[in-house]
Amino acid sequence: MAELSFSERETVGTVHQPRVLRLIGAVSTLCGWIAAGLIIASIFVTCHMIFVRFVLGQSTIWQTEAVIYMMIAATTIGLAYVQKLRGHVNVDLVPLMLPYRVRRILAYLVLILTVIVVGVIAWYAGHTWFETFDRNWKSSTVWGVRLWIPWLAVPVGFALYLLQLLADIAALYLRIDEPFGKGRE
Amino acid sequence: MDPLTLGLLVAFLTILILFSGASVAVGLLIVAAFFLLVFDGTRSLQMLPEVYFADLNSFTVLSIPMFIIMGASIASTRAGADLFEAIERWMTRVPGGLVVSNLGACALFSAMSGSSPATCAAIGKMGIPEMRKRGYSDEVAAGSIAAGGTLGILIPPSVTMIVYGIATETSIGRLFLAGVVPGFLLVALFMLWSIYSTWRSGAMHLLSPRRYSLRERLEVLPRVIPFLIVILGVLYAMYGGVATPSETAAVGALLCLVMAIAIYRMWRAKDLWAILRDSTRESVMILFIMAAAGVFAYMMSSLFITQSIAEWISQLEVNRWVLMAIINVFLLVAGFFLPPVAVILMTAPILLPILTAAQFDPYWFAVILTINLEVGLITPPVGLNLYVINSIAPDISLKTILRGSMPYVLCMFAAILILCFVPQIATWLPDLIMGPAI
Amino acid sequence: TELRLSHQFAPNDVRHKVAQMVADDVAAADVDLSIRIFPSSSLFKANEQYQPLSRGQLDMTVLPLSYAGGQRPEYNLTLMPGLIKDHDHAARMNNSPFMKALEDIMAEDDVMVLVHGYLAGGFASKGKCITKPEDVKGMTVRAAGKAFEQMLEGAGASISSMPSSEAYSGMQQGILDAMNTSSSSFVSYRLYEQVKCYTPAGDVALWFMYQPMLINKSTFDDLTPEQQQALRTASEKAQAFYLEEAKKEDAASREVFEKAGVEIAKMTPEDFDTWRALAKDTSYKAFVEEVPDGQKLLDLAFEVK
Ligand code: NA
Ligand code: NA
Repeated sequence: MAELSFSERETVGTVHQPRVLRLIGAVSTLCGWIAAGLIIASIFVTCHMIFVRFVLGQSTIWQTEAVIYMMIAATTIGLAYVQKLRGHVNVDLVPLMLPYRVRRILAYLVLILTVIVVGVIAWYAGHTWFETFDRNWKSSTVWGVRLWIPWLAVPVGFALYLLQLLADIAALYLRIDEPFGKGRE
Repeated sequence: MDPLTLGLLVAFLTILILFSGASVAVGLLIVAAFFLLVFDGTRSLQMLPEVYFADLNSFTVLSIPMFIIMGASIASTRAGADLFEAIERWMTRVPGGLVVSNLGACALFSAMSGSSPATCAAIGKMGIPEMRKRGYSDEVAAGSIAAGGTLGILIPPSVTMIVYGIATETSIGRLFLAGVVPGFLLVALFMLWSIYSTWRSGAMHLLSPRRYSLRERLEVLPRVIPFLIVILGVLYAMYGGVATPSETAAVGALLCLVMAIAIYRMWRAKDLWAILRDSTRESVMILFIMAAAGVFAYMMSSLFITQSIAEWISQLEVNRWVLMAIINVFLLVAGFFLPPVAVILMTAPILLPILTAAQFDPYWFAVILTINLEVGLITPPVGLNLYVINSIAPDISLKTILRGSMPYVLCMFAAILILCFVPQIATWLPDLIMGPAI
Repeated sequence: TELRLSHQFAPNDVRHKVAQMVADDVAAADVDLSIRIFPSSSLFKANEQYQPLSRGQLDMTVLPLSYAGGQRPEYNLTLMPGLIKDHDHAARMNNSPFMKALEDIMAEDDVMVLVHGYLAGGFASKGKCITKPEDVKGMTVRAAGKAFEQMLEGAGASISSMPSSEAYSGMQQGILDAMNTSSSSFVSYRLYEQVKCYTPAGDVALWFMYQPMLINKSTFDDLTPEQQQALRTASEKAQAFYLEEAKKEDAASREVFEKAGVEIAKMTPEDFDTWRALAKDTSYKAFVEEVPDGQKLLDLAFEVK
């Protein structure tokens, strides 16, 4: 249950922890601020668009696209922060029924699989980012954004997510964090 | 390998991964990546980030965080309590006392929040302690709020309806309208049950409500005005030719933030961050699941599994209502384990062609689907509303919450049945306002 | 060998029928080649097909080429106002030095054309009929394509960058005053329920969009000569069908709108010339500024009479 509780249980609580882990945690929190800032910004951009179109009766060229890219960035950059808060919803029915040692092994296994898939995505996102940058691809609209700008959020976001996941493995190893948030009975 | 066999393999591995405790989004990504790698080679891995990007590359996605912010900004203020109190004072004449007021407050709040956990939290923070103080059992207090909170995704605006609209390319404005009357139906059923159960438990005295003087009732009214402004503002923007449904979400979010800051004095950075933190967390979680489910759906389609399953089902030649019953059971089971958004995105590509072939209305089905998913919100092992109640009132055991919410699950089943017999409950209002569907 | 073809269109759309026709004929040729079609964006989203196609992750597609205009700005010429007058003119485009130049650019991305085809479109409005540039002044319009947006803005309209998924409800709620899209989209979105006046593609039309069936070139080169021949034969037949159907769609859409009681407006050749003059100062100008060899390509296009 603790995995999902909406109360503030963060990865590593008040327990003394190495500086590296604290630093990574701080980076992830910064990611959260950026994501929140992007969401707020898109509220204003959208309202601005409605105002320009409905009240001023002028063209709206860039707003829709800008908001879309801000949302993609908010989601991807926010991944690390939500991981830090344990906010990615999961089914922890089985893990919580397992004996402590098995649960610990399972937690490692799940984290390692997660690291692999997130790493793969970060890697290939880097490729696509480079392609959009190298060939100077633009969006096919009048605004014509250079696509490497919105794409930058994807490799960076997944890389920071990866970093937080590695910190979580370390926290599990150092017994700062309990597997699936549940210690020995 | 035959696509259907492959489909079974995918299902097996997906269940295995999800039950091992990986987060839902990552679990879907793991399965998708695995099957693409094995059956399509390494070149397909390049598609993972590109499909991820493409799935979020839609303006409609914006409305999800916006409707969540609407809920969160009110849930973090005293607004929920104000609303609750006003409704209680005005509904004293109606028998059923505090439970009915709570359900009414949940319904009204749902008209501003697109998410269920937010609805649950906003009303529960005040409602649960108040009910317990006045002698209602923990079971009734927790159960009614958990169930009332689920209305958040049925009564518009609704995050799941938006996701359904994106997945099936149906009109979001129409989907919202389709949820209105069924929402009222469900509230009515909930209220009937709570009155009956309180009466049956011999707690008649709780049903005869406290009397409020006219003065007391009038004095609480101004506190509801902000709500009415927000709701009317959103309705005007959405149906008055100002903005499209997705754009309206931003208007609603702005109005709610302004209301939180101006009226409830949430201008300190710390207070604002509380709103933003909760909504960022929920939004990112949901959008990540959306994108991951999109990658999963790409894998299923790429390996021709989706198409084969749809074809297989359409060849079954069962009665359309038997089909509907099977789909319902399937959705229920999926809802037990997965959050609503993931269920919709994983099943919609398969279900929609089948439903259209069997001549079910996609807007009516959206309502049926939503009620099924509401059940999932208040059942273990993944029931977001249960966790919210748990964090509001940690001393009420999960078992008690569950015992309290079970009867409401039955109410939801009843609503599904009624909707099957009288589909107009869902389709009447959209037809009236927007004309017949395309 | 199995080839995968993805497109964004519904199974009753002419572009799906073209793909299906090629798939059927290739299968009938019995050369151990089959085409599996993923319709309605069930594999890739509308805008996300060119890249996988050029990488060989997708074998074939039917695609409005201007969707890839962000990657190859030259492609924007395939949705330029006033470049093409009517369907026969469009058909002549297909065998011109202009098309050859475009095909050379596609070859750089490892893409080649199997079936050429253009679809036409018009305007629909909730207010007064749109035939001349003055008519759109002050209207909020959603246009299909970047070059059209530039031209309409030049005519004094406000452009709304609303996604197509919201355009129907945008028209319904009166957020938009007018729309510009293809004849078939006008019908499939049931816009005749919303609008007062329709200007279909007729003897002349402003809006022509090039929507070819494409294949990854390396994939094609790897096929046996028999398979290649079967694909070519099937494509040739489909291209003739595509042209006939494209002509029919304009008349069919006109009929549907007429039946629904919508006023039908007609664009005269003089109107067409006025629009083209406006396009020269707006869309063409922007195109030439953006694309290094733009003027040369534009001249090539104008050489086709
Ligand atoms: Na709602
Ligand atoms: Na559940």
